Amino acid sequence: MTLKLNRRTALSLALAAPAILSSSRAFAAKELRVMAWQGYADDDWVKEFQDQTGAKANVLFIGTDDEIWAKIKGSEGKDFDVFAVNTAQLQRYIDGGLTTPHDLSKLPNQKEVLPRFQDLSKVKGVMRDGKVHSIPFCFDSIGIIYDKDKVNPAPDTFEIFWDPKYKGKILAYDNGEHNFSFTALTMGIEDPFHLTEEQMGKIKEKLIALKSNVLSFYTTPDEALQLYKSNDVALIWANYGQQQVKAMKDAGANIEYVNPKEGALAWLDTWAMTSGVQDVDLAEAWVNFLLQKKIGQQLSERTGFGNTVVETGSAGASDKLVWLDFVEDPTKRSDLWNEVKAQP
Amino acid sequence: MIFVGSAKNGFWPRLLATFAYGLPVLLIVAPLASFLAYSFFRMEGGQIVADLSFGNYQRFFTDAIFIPILWRTCLLCLAVAALTILIGFPVAFLLANLKGRRRYLVLLMVLVPLLMSYIIKIYAIRSILGGTGFLNRFLLWTGLVDAPLTLFVFNLNAVLLTLTILLIPFAILPIFLSLERIPRDLIEASSDLGASSLQTFARIILPLSVPGIVTAASFVFVLAIGDFLTPQMVGGQSGFTFGRIVYSQFGTAFNWPFGAALATILGLVAIAVIAAGSRLEARQR
Repeated sequence: MTLKLNRRTALSLALAAPAILSSSRAFAAKELRVMAWQGYADDDWVKEFQDQTGAKANVLFIGTDDEIWAKIKGSEGKDFDVFAVNTAQLQRYIDGGLTTPHDLSKLPNQKEVLPRFQDLSKVKGVMRDGKVHSIPFCFDSIGIIYDKDKVNPAPDTFEIFWDPKYKGKILAYDNGEHNFSFTALTMGIEDPFHLTEEQMGKIKEKLIALKSNVLSFYTTPDEALQLYKSNDVALIWANYGQQQVKAMKDAGANIEYVNPKEGALAWLDTWAMTSGVQDVDLAEAWVNFLLQKKIGQQLSERTGFGNTVVETGSAGASDKLVWLDFVEDPTKRSDLWNEVKAQP
Repeated sequence: MIFVGSAKNGFWPRLLATFAYGLPVLLIVAPLASFLAYSFFRMEGGQIVADLSFGNYQRFFTDAIFIPILWRTCLLCLAVAALTILIGFPVAFLLANLKGRRRYLVLLMVLVPLLMSYIIKIYAIRSILGGTGFLNRFLLWTGLVDAPLTLFVFNLNAVLLTLTILLIPFAILPIFLSLERIPRDLIEASSDLGASSLQTFARIILPLSVPGIVTAASFVFVLAIGDFLTPQMVGGQSGFTFGRIVYSQFGTAFNWPFGAALATILGLVAIAVIAAGSRLEARQR
């Protein structure tokens, strides 16, 4: 058989040549399928990763938790290799056998992360049955924003929201789930996500007291900022964390952010591998690549969120963070929250 | 010529009739019917279960929070209706007394706010009402008050004021139309027969404008009672209304069937108000 070298095969050879020549790179011509939130796989990182490994990384950005679930569950994990997911959501993927545990020996950068994330058995939700199902990557806390001109010294407890001194100068968030959780923390309840009837009753009373101390309940960061600008506001329960801090500082507000001693609620996004991962080594290379100090730094600079390798404003080294979890009964909390709001 | 053949049985008239009845059925009746159906369903473990029961309605009547809030909301909306009419009537009266082009120019000015997005108007009002907002700064500047007023800062008063401002055009228009319809001869006859302007106003103009006032009141009431955004944005911690409860059932509570039941109840209140209004109006004629 003679090789017919027509124009098309010549062209394809020419195109393939660089890939063949660079076969020294470990993953030449391989493809990594990534699903991520906006900001977790920026173009320059993807390019650098591709240059380093020779693989092609296809990133799909998603907008909601439900979208991730629909895409991963819909293909039984086969359409993606690695995906970003928060620790609360992660549980249903593990339950459904949709993840592949990580091999820490392939993630050398995980040894260099912040102390808080060193021992993964202490990060609630990422491990099960001794296996690491996901690697922490990005987080933010829900602490207190305070106006430095009006609150002195800096607050260190959520109790300040009940202080009559600040009556009518407080902005809280309009959400029953979170408000029950953080009030539970304030009252010293160990597990704020699974409350008993009795605990809920007590928290409801305390939230009614909170209600009469706040100026308003906001829903979006913009709204809080506008309320801050046209009112005498001293304290804000910062549901949007650093994002909100940045927006307020950009607007010239003299504010600071603090996580109270009772512990701040915090979300944590992680990288998990799907059950249908095609090349485990390549997927681990991606996660390891993103755990570099340089990337962490850039992630925080660009998004305002905390990363797991470099200290940021999201949390001081000794701050207590309580990773968010699904609550026992969201509908019940929402109903109780309506009852709180309906109090005259 | 489109209509060929008999006007009643032709193809085009039929098509038009299908559209004329079909669109409202598809876009209004069907969604409302599905709401009604949902209101008899229930939630179980985060899923909507299509078992028919009166459970949601039973909860409305037995739970202690819903009826007081609905009542409070109705009073608020009545107050809004009354205020819009008090402010809208003089404006409509002025409009009706203007002549020629000037009348329509002023009318246009009254209606221009309707072209603006509702959200933008609420945002604007919010920065006016705030503790350090425009209104308070103005009052402080004039020396009328020496500390910022909290009377209109994020409470039911603020909701009342905002809804009034937002809904005034809906009051002006029907009143203006009813005033415009009063025959000039009646007014002239009244003054020819020796009535003072006040008497003419009280005995001729006011009674004849009642249908417009009633229409305006029911318009404003119905628009106000369905609003959840205004109370959300300017109501603060005390401006909680029925609309916000309904809204929360579709959002955070994720209890659509109960939300549908509450919305149905709200719809019944609105229908009752409209029916009462049209009966009152009919009696006046």
